[in-house]
Amino acid sequence: MDRNKISKWLKNPGKMANKYSFHVVYFCTGCGIIEIPPSITTRWDAERFGIIPVATPRQANLFLITGYVSTKTLAAIIRTYEQMPEPKYTVAFGSCPINGGMYYDSYNTITSLDKYIPVDGYIAGCMPRPEAIFIGVTHLWKLIDMDKADGYKRYREDYVHYRANQEQILGELDWPPLFSKENL
Amino acid sequence: MINKLKQKLLSDFNDIQVNIPEDNRMIVNTKKESLLSLLSYLKNMGFNHFAMLSCVDWIDENEFELIYILSAYPENDEQYQDIEKKNIILKTRISREKAKFITIIDIFENAEPYEREIHEMFGIHFEGHPRLTPLMLERDYKIPPFRKDFDTNKYVENTFGKVPSIKERKEGKK
Repeated sequence: MDRNKISKWLKNPGKMANKYSFHVVYFCTGCGIIEIPPSITTRWDAERFGIIPVATPRQANLFLITGYVSTKTLAAIIRTYEQMPEPKYTVAFGSCPINGGMYYDSYNTITSLDKYIPVDGYIAGCMPRPEAIFIGVTHLWKLIDMDKADGYKRYREDYVHYRANQEQILGELDWPPLFSKENL
Repeated sequence: MINKLKQKLLSDFNDIQVNIPEDNRMIVNTKKESLLSLLSYLKNMGFNHFAMLSCVDWIDENEFELIYILSAYPENDEQYQDIEKKNIILKTRISREKAKFITIIDIFENAEPYEREIHEMFGIHFEGHPRLTPLMLERDYKIPPFRKDFDTNKYVENTFGKVPSIKERKEGKK
């Protein structure tokens, strides 16, 4: 352990704890989920970076959205994201969540994900290799250090607008608002 | 064996055209009236596995083409050698305006989800089907999305493209 870093860590132990213990939702959206099993098992061993997949979203703080998002999946993604405890981070894989990718003209695939839930970072590629996932994660560490991974704060602030966008696509949502005016 | 089958079909049915593009594949073009009898005829001959029902939209000819694919489950070794890995593809055309056809559930029960899917994606009504409810789609489409006159670019522009970004929404509210 580098002793010089101890003082730095002690300044903000909360951030340090968040950074080095990512619990990932094992949620299969689109084609990129096939990159996750090799990344978390022996070959690339994501546990070196403190990443571990967990069973339910209520234990997780990192949401990997691996590929295209259809409207049906979008409802599941929103429900999953709202169940995760704060602080929570979202990373989207591939070109499809950015602008639709190769599904730009699909009748059933949404074109940009960050209109519906906040996204902290994108990993470009179709699909990104496991190495790119780790580069993305180390980049997320830097963002957390600089307080720039503030997706969950934005979601809390602009919840009315996010909810309006979600309802524009999905119609009436069959779950109550996550934040009402009293608990904001 | 497949040539024998071809001759047998041609002698028993009028108004069909039989092509054999490959050794193990036979394409039968038929009129819609004789499709049900062809299906039950082939089922009795041993082609008892209904593999797939598909649909093609020929918009220039103003017709839908329904494609039924049959193959065989072997019951004994002798039969297996005869009809091993043979696929029979039945094609029939129905008009595009009156997109109606008869269900084949009475002959092959597993056609039910295929017919539901085609009803949803192409808007073809299968008469006699017990439940033509939505299978996969959740949104309402004016034109069923797999038809050729469904303009995907325009649809995306009008639905997903019209959702404002959060920044735009905030500025608009102010």
